[in-house]
Amino acid sequence: MAPTDKIDLSKLHKDQYAAAKKPVLVTMDEAVYLTVSGRGAPGGPEFTDKVGALYGAAFTVKMTRKFAGLQDYVVSKLEAQWWLDGDGHDFANVPKEQWNWRLMIRTPPIVEQRELDGAVHKLLQKGKAPCADQVKLESITEGLCVQMLHVGPYAEEGRTICVMSAFAEQQGLTLHGRHHEIYLSDPRRVPPEKLKTILRLPVGKKGA
Amino acid sequence: MKRSTQQLYTERILSVLVFIQRNLDEELSLEEYARVAHFSPYHFHRIFRGMVGESLHEHIRRLRLERAATRLKRTDRTVIEIALEAGYDAHEAFTRAFRTLYGCSPSHYRRDKSVAFALGPVGVHYEENGSMNHLQLPLGGETMEVRIERVEPMLVVFVRHVGPYNQVDTAWERLCTRLGKDGLLGPGTKFVGICYDDPDVTPPEKIRYDACVTVDSDFVAEGDVGVQTIGGGEYAVTTHLGPYNTLGQTYAKLLGQWLPRSGRELRSEPSLEFYLNAPESTDPEDLITDIYAPLEPAL
Repeated sequence: MAPTDKIDLSKLHKDQYAAAKKPVLVTMDEAVYLTVSGRGAPGGPEFTDKVGALYGAAFTVKMTRKFAGLQDYVVSKLEAQWWLDGDGHDFANVPKEQWNWRLMIRTPPIVEQRELDGAVHKLLQKGKAPCADQVKLESITEGLCVQMLHVGPYAEEGRTICVMSAFAEQQGLTLHGRHHEIYLSDPRRVPPEKLKTILRLPVGKKGA
Repeated sequence: MKRSTQQLYTERILSVLVFIQRNLDEELSLEEYARVAHFSPYHFHRIFRGMVGESLHEHIRRLRLERAATRLKRTDRTVIEIALEAGYDAHEAFTRAFRTLYGCSPSHYRRDKSVAFALGPVGVHYEENGSMNHLQLPLGGETMEVRIERVEPMLVVFVRHVGPYNQVDTAWERLCTRLGKDGLLGPGTKFVGICYDDPDVTPPEKIRYDACVTVDSDFVAEGDVGVQTIGGGEYAVTTHLGPYNTLGQTYAKLLGQWLPRSGRELRSEPSLEFYLNAPESTDPEDLITDIYAPLEPAL
C-alpha cells in the first residue's frame, strides 16, 4: 500500500469485520481502540455524552493528522463491549442501569497517546465534549471468538446468541468474557427490524 | 369554488408543458421554464420531474422524437431533414434515439403501413396544435413519510464547490480537516449540504454546492472558508436511504407528489441535505440523508 493511501481497518481486517450470517470463528490479536467506559442504559444521558466525546476525539485526532500531512485513515464504526457485575451474562434480567459498557472505535496502531492528549485538550478548550478527558487509547486482545451478524432489534439478540453458543459447544468451546457488538447500522433512522450488528463473543476450551 | 393546491400545481405544470410544445425548437434556460410555471428556479425541476415522470431534458427530447415520427408519416421531408429538425446533426444519432423509443429505424417506420403513429411510454405526448385539453399528468399514488419541522437559524462554516456533484467530497475533506484539527467537530455538529442546482438538469461543471458544518455563534472565519446563516422557518422533511446518486428520485417524490397534495408552497431558497452518517465508512445503500425543503408559512 502506498503511504498516501487511506487506511481502512475494516477492509484491512476483512475477516474480523465480515458480517457472516452463520457463526464463524475469528482470532482477535492485539488491536488498538479509542475507548470510553461507563455504566447505565444504552441511549441514556451518560451513554449519549460519551458516544459524542468518543467520536469528537476520533475525528479530532484524524483531522489533526490529516492537516499535518500524516497518514490518513477511515474512522471505523462504533463498537462496544458489555458486561455485568460479577460474571453474570443474563442481561435480560438485570436492570439496564446496572449494565457496564466500554465504547470503542478501532484505530490504526500508528496513532500515539500524545495525539489523543492534544485532541482532548482542544475539545475541552472549545467546550465541545465535557467528558473527552475520559477517552483512552487502549490495546485489547480478545483471542479466539465466535462471530455472527444479528439482524433486528438489539433486544432480540438472544436468539442469535443461542445460535452462536450452540456452535461454540459443537466445537468444544464455551463462551466467556465480554459480549462485544459492532454497530453497522445507525439506529436513529434504520428501523429496528433492519438493524445490522456484528456480535463477537470470546470463547475458550471447555474446562480450561 | 376554491381550487385545491393539487389542481393549482397541475395547472402550473400543464402550462409549462404547453409552453414546451409551442417552443419545441427553442433552447431555453431552466429559469425561463420555471418562470412560465411560477415556480422558484431552485425547486421547479424537481417538481417537474416528480409530476411529469421524466426530466425536462428527457421530456423535450422525447417530444421532438414524437414530432419527428408524425413528420415521417405525414410529410415528404427527407429523414435527414427531420433529424435536423429534431435537434440531431447526424443521421446515426437520430436513428439510434429513434430506435430506442420506437423499436425500429426511422425509414422502416415511414415505410411500414401497419405501424400507426406510436407513442412513447410516458403520459404526456406531442400534440400538433399544442393545446392543453388533451394533456394529462401521470397519477402518482405512492405515499411517503414527510414531517414538517421548524428549523432555527444555524451558523455554519462552508466551502463552496462548483463542479460535478460526485466530486463534492473534496470540499468536505477541506472543511472537515480545517475544523477537525481545531476540535470543532463535536457531538452536536451537523453536516449540511446546500444544493443550488439539480444534478439531473444542470451541466456537471456548473453545479453549485456548499458543504456546511454547524459552529457556535462566536466562531470567527479565517482563511479559505466562509460563514453563513442557514435554516429559519418551516421545512418539509423526508429521509432518503441509500446512495447519494439516487437522491433525485426522493426529491422528485417529495416535491412532485407529496408537495402538490400538501397545500403548501415552497420558499424561493435551496433545499438542504443533512448527512447522518459518514460516506467513507458506510456502504452506499446504508447512507442516510434527511432532505429539507423550505416551506412558505402556512396560510
